[in-house]
Amino acid sequence: MSDVAKPRNPEDDWKIWLVVNPATWLMPIFYALLVLAIAVHWVVFAVGLGWQ
Amino acid sequence: MAEQSLSGLTDQQAKEFHEQFKVTYTAFVGLAALAHLFVIAANPWW
Repeated sequence: MSDVAKPRNPEDDWKIWLVVNPATWLMPIFYALLVLAIAVHWVVFAVGLGWQ
Repeated sequence: MAEQSLSGLTDQQAKEFHEQFKVTYTAFVGLAALAHLFVIAANPWW
């Protein structure tokens, strides 16, 4: 296979910010998290696991 | 132009941001775990 160094995680996790600029993407990431949280709560209540 | 990353951040900036990101993410997971414990205490879903 190629001789590219394999990443070692979590030590190399910080390198994601060399690709994804948080000044641009931190808020979209937070909004995606919010949408996911709302979706999960919606499903949990829809299947009747919420307080009723 | 010197060697620049895809995001434009330097290694130092990326490491610095990641330290804060880990703190905030850990707090988020902690709060979520706490919320799940309250739900388990009040109304277990199994």
